Amino acid sequence: MAARIYLVAATLCSVALLSGCSNDPADATPSGAPSLIVSTTPAGFPEGTSAEQAPADNALTEERAQLGKRLFYDPQLSRTNEVSCNTCHQQANAFADPNVVSAGVEGRTGTRNAPSIVNAAWGKTFFWDGRADSLEEQAGQPIENPLEMDLALSDAVARVAADASYVAAFKKAYGEAPSEASLQKALASFVRSLVSGNSPYDRHLRGDDSAFGPQRKRGEALFLSEKAECFHCHPGGELTNEGFFNNGSYVAGGDTGRQQVSGRVGDIGKFKVPALRNIELSAPYMHDGSLATLEDVIEHYAAGGRGDVTTDPLIKPLSLSSEEKADLVEFLRSLTDESLLTDARFAP
Amino acid sequence: MKWYRPAVVWAGAAALAGCFGCSSDAQPGVGSSGGAAGMLGAPGPNAGAESAGSAGTVSAGGTGNAGAAAASDGCEKSPAPLRTQGTLLSLPLELVLGGKPFVFGEANELSGGSSLVPLNLRFYISEVELLRGAGQANVAVDVVTAAGAPAPYGVYLFNAEDADSNTLTLLAPPGEYTGLSFALGIKLGCNQQNPAGLSDPLRSTSQMTWPHTGGFLFFRYEARYMAAGSAGASGAPESLPAVHMGGDIKVERVPRVTVLGALSVPASGKLEKGLSVVMDEILKGATANIDVSDVAVGLLSAPEAIAGERLRRQLPDLHVFVLEP
Repeated sequence: MAARIYLVAATLCSVALLSGCSNDPADATPSGAPSLIVSTTPAGFPEGTSAEQAPADNALTEERAQLGKRLFYDPQLSRTNEVSCNTCHQQANAFADPNVVSAGVEGRTGTRNAPSIVNAAWGKTFFWDGRADSLEEQAGQPIENPLEMDLALSDAVARVAADASYVAAFKKAYGEAPSEASLQKALASFVRSLVSGNSPYDRHLRGDDSAFGPQRKRGEALFLSEKAECFHCHPGGELTNEGFFNNGSYVAGGDTGRQQVSGRVGDIGKFKVPALRNIELSAPYMHDGSLATLEDVIEHYAAGGRGDVTTDPLIKPLSLSSEEKADLVEFLRSLTDESLLTDARFAP
Repeated sequence: MKWYRPAVVWAGAAALAGCFGCSSDAQPGVGSSGGAAGMLGAPGPNAGAESAGSAGTVSAGGTGNAGAAAASDGCEKSPAPLRTQGTLLSLPLELVLGGKPFVFGEANELSGGSSLVPLNLRFYISEVELLRGAGQANVAVDVVTAAGAPAPYGVYLFNAEDADSNTLTLLAPPGEYTGLSFALGIKLGCNQQNPAGLSDPLRSTSQMTWPHTGGFLFFRYEARYMAAGSAGASGAPESLPAVHMGGDIKVERVPRVTVLGALSVPASGKLEKGLSVVMDEILKGATANIDVSDVAVGLLSAPEAIAGERLRRQLPDLHVFVLEP
């Protein structure tokens, strides 16, 4: 069976080669500096660059993304001036948080692990429970959350409005003084610029298997099979269906996830399916950061989750050998885009 | 990004379909456009009949050119509309179980004290035709958005989780019709596309993609059944946890459904007519005791896929969709 799936992959690859998949170098700004806005799209993603995913009222421009980057790294956006967006979304961790749960102002902690925000431009909803329908809406919530940055958006605006260089940057980007809306739009623009599409898996889909050897191919075949069943939520290409599912990580009495947004009993324990690019870098895993390693994740699914009655019916114990588990982990490691970690465009 | 050229990619994938145990035989009565038996008794003489009539533009206040949905090998994101004028026909869909509304995400009480919580329920509708009286050809109509714009790929996706998706809207020429028929799924040309690189509603985030055959799911259902007194399953059809119905990327196997009922489409304004989705019939078909072993091998041997194939074959004998009187 694995051989058959290799053939599918090989077919995809050959076609990708024929059509000349883009792996463009970063576009340059008029000054010659690398632009935050690129035309590269991760392999297997929908048509359209990250800029083309932006809403009509917040077109992605270099000025907006650069302003957003400055805000992203600015601890002024927290009440105590100690926490920035970057505190929980670190480049070395694929813009996720290596801590089980993130620490906000004064060391306050919540109940969820901060997810990676890379390739979020193609997302449909945001946060583990999907309570935000746009990156713009998402951007303001951590600032105001008492467990995170604990600062009213109006106060955040007042702080940046007191800085002439910020005022000039907002004027250049949005043609107006800083406002709550433009602050959120700028942050969303930077997040929208965080594109990662140069992993061995991306290159594999484009026809370059130089870093996608037999074990990774075995892992990919398993990933797309009924034996491992990963594809139900992580379809090939995007590796997320953007849906909400109870993957067996919920335990009775715990964080009910999507149910807090919808109010539906059927949504208890459902959380948004994360995209998997750079998953190796974004440990720990699950909404609560309760699984430390990729091996732990595979064991979780092999066991069929933690056994709560609310677990999705497609989450069932799996029969996987130790070799197969290792193959799956190796496939997941093929999703790492090393260039993301050192991309100076995303650094402060 | 344009690096997937589906026709080439899936020419290769299609060659693999046989490896996955997909039958290359179209199922009698459910496979080809316009060939299905009716859902509510036998259709009229022309129900499901194909017509050579070409698509046309409706003149203001006039009648449209009749013609069955043209079969196409392609799957254009922006297909040429069959007509640019017409009346919006809105069909809000309502899930029903046991004669009562089947509420998504909630514990729906069943007889005997058990309950059923639907967790996921989606399906595609495409290739819609309106039926006319005896001796008259069907009228193919465009699937459109609520605002009347052509739907991408000509496909409608029902997603029970998203109330905004729960109305099928068509652009129809005014006239008197005896019902409608449609593909419960997507045509072969679309089913042969690689979802990677496609947009809504065929994007992989539709949750309708399926690596089994390289094609798409046509119908997807997952639920949690709570038996009376304790959690667990029983032999009741309602205890079926999942149904995944797909097709075949080698041959047209999308089931075609015919729903009879008067549709009087006015020359102006719009017509709204409720369309019930009878879950009892879905579960009955998906648990039918029929042999599907000719396709239920390999990856398609998963219980939800077997249930889906049973449903696909049973659809002509079921009454899944019912138009409000």
